[in-house]
Formats: sequence, structure tokens, C-alpha cells
Amino acid sequence: MGFDVMGFMVSWLTLFGIYAILSLTLNLESGTAGITNFGKALFYGIGAYVSATLTTYLILMSNGVDINETPPYDIRGIILLGELGNKNPLLNIGFTALSLVVAFAVAGLIGYLLTYPILRVGPAFVGFTLLSAGELLRIFLQHYEPVGASKGLMAIPTPFSWIAEGRVRELAYLGLVMGLVALTYLAVHRLVNSPLGRTLRAIRDDEIAALCLGKHVPRTKATILFIGSGFAGVAGVLLAYYLTSVNPNMFMPLVTFNVWAMIILGGFGNLRGSLLGAAIITFVDRALTFVTPQLGVAVISPDYLRWVVVGLLIVVVLLVNPKGLLPEGPIKTPALDVINEELRDDSK
Amino acid sequence: MIPGLQQALMNTVQYALFYLIFSIPLTLSYRTTKVINFAHANFITYGAYVAIFLHGIAGLDMMSVAAVLAFLVTGSMAVLNNLLVFAPLQKRGSSPAIVMISSMGLWIAYKYLLYMITDVAHHYTGRNFVSYGRITYSDVPRGVIGGIGFSQALVASLIATTISMVLLYLLLEKTKIGRAMRAVADNPWLAEISGVPRSLVVNLMWFICGGMVGAGGVVWTSFSGAITPEAGDSMILQVFTVGFIGGLVSLMRTGMGAALIAAIENVGIAMLNAYFGVPVSFRPFLTFATLIITLIAFPPLGAGGGLPYRFLRRGRK
Amino acid sequence: MTSNKKAAGSIGMAIIAIVALVVGLAAGYGIAVMTGGAAPTTAVAPEKKVYSIGFTLPLSGELSSIGKIWEKVIQLAMEDLNKEVQACGLNVEFRAVVLDDGTSEEKALQNVQSFVQQGIKVVIGPAASAQVKAVKAYADSNKIVIVSPSSTAPTLAIPGDYIFRTVGSDAGQAKALATLAYQEGARKIVVFHRNDEYGRAFAEFFERYFGEMGGATIKLPYQTGLSDYASEVATLASKVQSEGADAVVLIAFDTDGANILSHAAESAVLSGIRWFVSEGPHGAEELLSPTIGRFASKVRLFGTRPLFIANPLYEDFKKRMIQRFGIEPGVFSENLYDAVKLAGWAILRAGTYDGEAIRAALIEVAKTYYGPSGWTIFDSAGDKAQQDYGVWAIVLGGPKGYQFKDVGLYERGSIVFLEQAYP
Repeated sequence: MGFDVMGFMVSWLTLFGIYAILSLTLNLESGTAGITNFGKALFYGIGAYVSATLTTYLILMSNGVDINETPPYDIRGIILLGELGNKNPLLNIGFTALSLVVAFAVAGLIGYLLTYPILRVGPAFVGFTLLSAGELLRIFLQHYEPVGASKGLMAIPTPFSWIAEGRVRELAYLGLVMGLVALTYLAVHRLVNSPLGRTLRAIRDDEIAALCLGKHVPRTKATILFIGSGFAGVAGVLLAYYLTSVNPNMFMPLVTFNVWAMIILGGFGNLRGSLLGAAIITFVDRALTFVTPQLGVAVISPDYLRWVVVGLLIVVVLLVNPKGLLPEGPIKTPALDVINEELRDDSK
Repeated sequence: MIPGLQQALMNTVQYALFYLIFSIPLTLSYRTTKVINFAHANFITYGAYVAIFLHGIAGLDMMSVAAVLAFLVTGSMAVLNNLLVFAPLQKRGSSPAIVMISSMGLWIAYKYLLYMITDVAHHYTGRNFVSYGRITYSDVPRGVIGGIGFSQALVASLIATTISMVLLYLLLEKTKIGRAMRAVADNPWLAEISGVPRSLVVNLMWFICGGMVGAGGVVWTSFSGAITPEAGDSMILQVFTVGFIGGLVSLMRTGMGAALIAAIENVGIAMLNAYFGVPVSFRPFLTFATLIITLIAFPPLGAGGGLPYRFLRRGRK
Repeated sequence: MTSNKKAAGSIGMAIIAIVALVVGLAAGYGIAVMTGGAAPTTAVAPEKKVYSIGFTLPLSGELSSIGKIWEKVIQLAMEDLNKEVQACGLNVEFRAVVLDDGTSEEKALQNVQSFVQQGIKVVIGPAASAQVKAVKAYADSNKIVIVSPSSTAPTLAIPGDYIFRTVGSDAGQAKALATLAYQEGARKIVVFHRNDEYGRAFAEFFERYFGEMGGATIKLPYQTGLSDYASEVATLASKVQSEGADAVVLIAFDTDGANILSHAAESAVLSGIRWFVSEGPHGAEELLSPTIGRFASKVRLFGTRPLFIANPLYEDFKKRMIQRFGIEPGVFSENLYDAVKLAGWAILRAGTYDGEAIRAALIEVAKTYYGPSGWTIFDSAGDKAQQDYGVWAIVLGGPKGYQFKDVGLYERGSIVFLEQAYP
């Protein structure tokens, strides 16, 4: 049995893409604007559930199935979804697009609304407030019947399920993911490298000073949370289609902390760093699953070693370079070019 | 009166004691070092496992011995964390978020290291340590007083928590070292200039905090029916919640938070279930709802507090 | 300029760190081999064909007790399989590739994906029904044969897919448990069940069957993954008291089950009624603590589990497990053992190492295979067609003070006790 390099690359890059979107937005919120967001999983989960619910219910309804009798979380519903899921390419792609837009809007809106409690509790507790909000949603979803309660939803028809060839389907999906990563990167890049970006850094470094300088801190934070959460919702949509099933246990706080590890590793405040951090952590995790089973079953289950390595890797990299791998660069606005120009002229 | 109220009240007391012994050290360590320490969960688990290994391998079932040993083990773990990871990072001016992430790395590594240790223990004794049953101790009394049943866990946690709280209070208020700790917590630079050996004090504080939690872990083994290397993880969010209610600065408020959360988790959910049919599985929801409501309704002002945005005039640019 | 150098320098250091780790792992591999771990194939014999079978096990997380037992079962099964294959004169060897999925759905899917990338087409596991649900779509679209030895949720009985289960669905076990409870005199039951796929499906079916027999059921779900269930048990006690129930049915895994039973032992109300348990906690050592043992005999605790009745192969398997590893095979061990054998023979019968071919071969092989779990023939949904159920209890005896004992069986609609569990 050969080692399927292409398959490895495709599945790794897809997962990397999803986490890249999360890291970019987290770096925007926490690395640049100083909003310690421990609740990333909340918006991630909202996006995933929005797309799962929309797609499963709409596919059933558009095929004339009575959803009160066979809801998508029921076993007959699941079988029907499996059959009907790849009939109509237009429906699949259409619903995907719809899900992306709605998920962005819903997740962004909730992020915006959460700004109020965040402002009230103060910078030290922002993280935990968001985390609690995330847990509240998760527990609520575990009891809410129409989205499958604790069973979750499965057999979600993916945007490209009508493509017969497996590899082609995966590549098409990878293309979609990468496209959205590029979109996110562009958006975040433009936000950070602008006067707004300078305001964000001012807020992060010293909120009171920024306030005194006349910056409308609450509105800025709300805007940033809206955009960051919206894109996190988009990442959630991608995850739902990737796993073809959603379950409340997929959005535990541990997911958020994973993303935090990625941005810290890659460089706090540096966008390319978030990509690098996401790439390293997803790669190492994947690569280790190849190594550890080869160690043979000795006294110790070798797979435990995988996690010890991951944990130590984080610690070691941080000790070696606490600011992350890539340093935070200056904000690239036209003003910077002008200044650099002046400096070059002066030094001549 | 809802049935089972007495049991719920007993559980409230029991849980309040556990939350106290787990979260007071957390508040203390954060207050002194501003480090959000995820490895705190490991202190609980490793403490519990010291008792488990003593019981399973050596057949020793004396809680006093286990508690002292656990104190030493987890205390040293905490000091080691500080010496090797936290202090070097803080000396280079890392932000608190970075130190927090490093503690997260430690947490994962410690957890799976413990899984590996249980494997080795299993190899040599044939017993399963990945999930261990409740331990019945020989040196902890139990009985019925005035119609109320005192289980081993209740007696043990009463003793352990009372002793640790009293000792901690005496330490912080009456001794020079305690005052030094408080000085370092309030203003590290000033303390250092005044001649306080800062790193020694910090390490001592970690030793005490880590050790207390480990001893609490030992008591936990007499209460819980199944302890795994992930036992600390499911508790950690509640412990942090209690700490946050205390604003992570005030030990008094943390104590109140412990009592409050324990009450809500036991009596609160029982009442909601009896009168409103709320499913019992909603219990964690209540904990977080309490946290958010507390934080929003009573935002801690001051150093950790929210800026009074309500004083921001509208209509500004 | 200097910042660029610094950036390059730190990236360089990070790369060195990662390389060092990989080198360290390789060194660790070497050491593991030298200290007597399972040695790699050192056969110099001509061209031995090696087939890999993937295993995704819950070595951490909520099912870790069972997972650790399964690790040993797999070792035994792979050895037996390889011996049999040798005895038939085939120059073939099977290799196990084991990954931990932490009883989580996402990790199970990632493990299956890793297996696919390593070129493995047959995966045994995952353990929990929620996990099987998460990997189903990926397995179906990539034509990977999944054989779960322990997923019992009736909601996964879907025909025509790549999921096979060497254990019968809980629809059957719910009936056996309902019969047991009714026969033991219970008429009003509180079902205390996990709030997940397994627990809810089981509870629904139990309610249906128990209702058909004329009993009343009240369902009380509890949140999974918590550190302790004392307050849930307290609510259970008050519910039992307020409803006047005469029995509790517990549907749990091993760690939560042990936790719940320990707390129940402290409640006067709960110690005064009957208790019936599903198969989840069976075999887990933490239930053999004195607290639970005493509680079991006080409430005359009985549980059901999938078991092929009066099977000499099972007795032999049990004896060998105890002899070799000193552990009793917990629930589903025999289903796992047979899954391994079936997978191996299906690979051989298929002729090519291809998912579709192996799937067809698996169905054929299962038709005529009889192992410690009995006849393994699959029904149309790819689940075990014939599943019997046994009754177990926790009794005094054995090296740890208490032990699990099979004391009865479910036969033709009623429970027959073969021995007296509690005096």
C-alpha cells in the first residue's frame, strides 16, 4: 500500500484552510484589536449549525418531503438525504451559497450583540464571557430538538456531492475553501493595513489613551467583532460540509484554544503568521498520526505520545520565541510608504 | 418542599468545599502572577492519581499519607512549571496570553503523560488505572450525626478545606512571608525594591497553591465514582467560573462564588427540575448563565473592571 | 533588516526543533523495539504480503476503560489471525495500525482520514455510535469498510452503506432489558440515560417495549462528559420519590456509570429500589469497588449485554484473555475479536485490496463464520443479524473482591436465570 501523498495534501490543506480563516479572524480580534476572544467556537458552531439546518431542511422540502413527518435527524430523513443529496447540482450549490451568506450574517450579528456585555465586564473578563456564551449555546443546542439535539445532524448534502469522482469532488471543495481563505485574508489585510488598523492597535495597547484621543472604542470593537465572527461563521459552514455532520460536541472551548495556539505560534498580530501557525499545527497533528502507530504496541499506547509531543511543541516554540515565529510588522498604509520614502531621502 | 432537598443541600455543602479548595489557589496564583494557568486541571488530576497509585500499587489506603504526598508532588509540579516555563517567558516580557497558551501546552502534555504512566502501572500490576473507582479510606471516619449522613468524602473535605483555609489565612495575614506575597501581588516592582525576594516568594506561592489543589484531588478520590486522567478537565471550567465570580482578585468573593455555584448546581437545578420540568442535563447551562449574569450585573470595576462607557457622550465621532 | 534576520533565525530554530522532535521519535521507535515492544516484521522469508488493518480506539476519554481492554483483545486477535493464515499455507501477514480517537467524533473522522492516506481500506472502530455517525459519509464516499464492534444505536441501521456492525442494535437489547425489569416486578420505571445518540435511542425503545408490556416509564436524561454526577443523582432520587417509582434503568458508559452508582449508594431512596443497567458499564474495573459491590447486592442489580449464549468459543476466549493478560474481557470484546477475524478473511477473500471488493467479501465471509460472539451473519443493514442477550450481575468473588458474572439469558421473550446472583 503506497502512501497517498495527493490525498494527504488535499485533506490537510482543506483542514488548514478552515483553521486559517479562524486564525486570521482571531488575530484580527485579539492580536490587533486586543479583544481576547475565547469564544471563537461559538461563532464557528453557529455557522456550522446554520448551514447544516438550512441545507438539510431545504433539500428535503424542495423535494416535496414533509419535514414534520420525516425530519432530517430521523433515520428515514437521513436515508432520504443520502438519496436526494446529489440529484440537483444547482440546488446544492445554491444552498451552499445561501448558507454562507446567512451564516456570515447570523454569526456576525451575534458577535455584534455580544459587544455590549464585553464592554461592561472589562478587558480582563472578555475572554471568559465569550467562552461562557459559547458553552451556553452548546448546551442549548444539545437540547433543541429541531436541530437534532444531542444527536446532531448528519448526511448533510455537500456542494459538490453530485460529482461522481471522489478525488475531483475533494479538489473542487478545496478550491472553494481556498477561495474563501483568500477572501478572508484580503478583507482582514485591508482592515489591518489602514487607519482603522492603527486605531485597533491603539485600542489594544492602551484603551484609555485611545478613548482620550477621541476614538469611538465601543463602535470599533463592535465592527471588528461583527466581521471576525461573520468569517468564523463562514469557516463553520465549511466545516459542516467537510465533515457532513454536526454535533454540539464539536464546538467545545478546546477548539478555541487550538486556534489561539496557532496565532501565538505564528506571530501575534501578524497575518501571515496566523497562516503559518495554522499550517504547522494542522500538519504536525496529521503527520504524527503516521508516525505513532509505527512505534508498535509496546507497554505504552504510542498514540499518547502524539499528544505529549503536541503539548511540548507549543511550550518549546514559545520558549524559543515568545512573540511567535513571525514578528508583527508595521501597518502598511500609503502613509507608511511616504514615511519610508522620506527616511530614504534623509539617509542619502 | 421538594423531595430530596436534604440530599441536595448536603451536595451543596460538599461541592462548596471542593470548589473552595480548588479555586482559592487559582485566585491566589492569578493575583500574584497574572497567569491564567490551565495546568491547574492537572494539579487536581495528579493529586488524585497519587492517591490512586498508592492505593492500587502499594495497597495503601491512608488519606493523610496520600494528601501529604500529593501536596508535595503537585506543589513541585507547580514550581517546576514556573521555573521552566512561566518565569522565563515573563522575564522576556511576554503578554499574559502567551503565558496562558504555554500553560495550555503543559496541560496537554501532562495529561497524556499521565495516560502513559497509567499504562506502565497497568503493565506491572495488571490493574486498570485509566479509570479508577472510588477509594474507601481507612483513616477517615464516617457516620450519622443527628440524622444526617456524613460520608467519608464530606468528613475529609471538611477537614481538608478548613485546615487549608485557616492555614492560608494565617499565612497571608500574620506572617512576613504572607505579607511579602501580598506585596508582590499588588505591586511587584515596589516589592522588589523594598527588598522582597520576588522569585522566591512567587515560587513558594506556586508550591502552596499547587499543593493545596493536589490535596483536594486526593479528597476527590473518596467522592467521585470514577477518576480518569481527564478528571480535572471537566472541573476546570467550573473552577474558573468560581474564580471569575471573585474577580480573580478577591479571595472573599471567590469563597462566596464557590457557595453560590455549588448551591445553583445542586439546589437550583433540583428546584427547576421539580417545578418547571427543566431537564437535569441543563445543569452546566446554569453555571455559565450565573457567570455571565454576575459579570454583567456586577462588573468588577477598578483594575480588572470595565470602563464606564455609560459616561461616554453620544454623538461623538 | 535586523528584524528580517531575526524572523529568519526564529523560523530556522523552529524548523530545527521540529526536525529534532521527529528524530527523537525515530530514536524512541528504535528504543521501543529494543525493549521488547512488538517487533516489526523481520522475516527474511520470500515476499510476505503485508496487509494493514486500521483501528480507531477510545484510548482516552469517556470510553477509555473499554478501550484499554480492547487494545489487548486486538493483540490476541491479530496473533490468532496471523497464526490461522499461516496454518492455511498463505504467505500473508496482517498488521494493526492503532490510533486513539479520545471518544470524540472529530478525532475519529481524522483518524479514518489518516488511515485512508496511509492506504488502508479497512478500519475497525470507532466505538461510540456518535462517532460512527461522523465517519459514515466519508467512509461511504471513499469506499472504506468500517466495522464497529460496539455501536448499537438503531438510528444507524442503514442498508447499502460501508458501515458494518458486529453487534446487534439496541432495539433488541431494549426489549431484553424491558422484559428483565418487568419480570423482576417493576411497573413504574425512571430511565436515567445519557443525553447522546446511544442513550436517547435506547431510552426511546425501552419506553416503547416496556409500555407494550404494561409498565410506565419516565425519562431523565443527563449531560455527558461531566466530571461528577452527584447533583444529577440527587435529582434522580427526588424524582423516584415524587413519582413513586419502583426501579431505575441506567443507560451509561463506564466512567459515568461508575460515578452514578457510587453516588446512588449514598442515597437511601435509591438504595431501596431495584436497579437495571445497560451493557455500557460491563467489564469496567471501577465498578468493582466495595461501594458499588455492596450497593449492587443491596438493590439486586442486574444488567443486560449482548452475548452469544452457551458458546464454548466465548468461554475459551475468556480463559485465554485472563491467562495471557490477566484481564477479563469486558463487553464487546468478543464482537471486536470477531470483527478482526472477519476483516482479515474478507481481505483475503476479496483478492484485491479494494474497498468495494472487501465489502462484498465481508458479507460473504460473515455468512459462515462462527466465533466467540456467535454467528456473525449480517442483516440487510450490515448489522449483526442474530444477537442474543445475557444478564449479568456484580457478585462477591474474584481477585479484586467483586466480579462481573453472567447469571442468566434472554430467551424467546423471557428471562431465564441460570444461577442465583444475590442471596
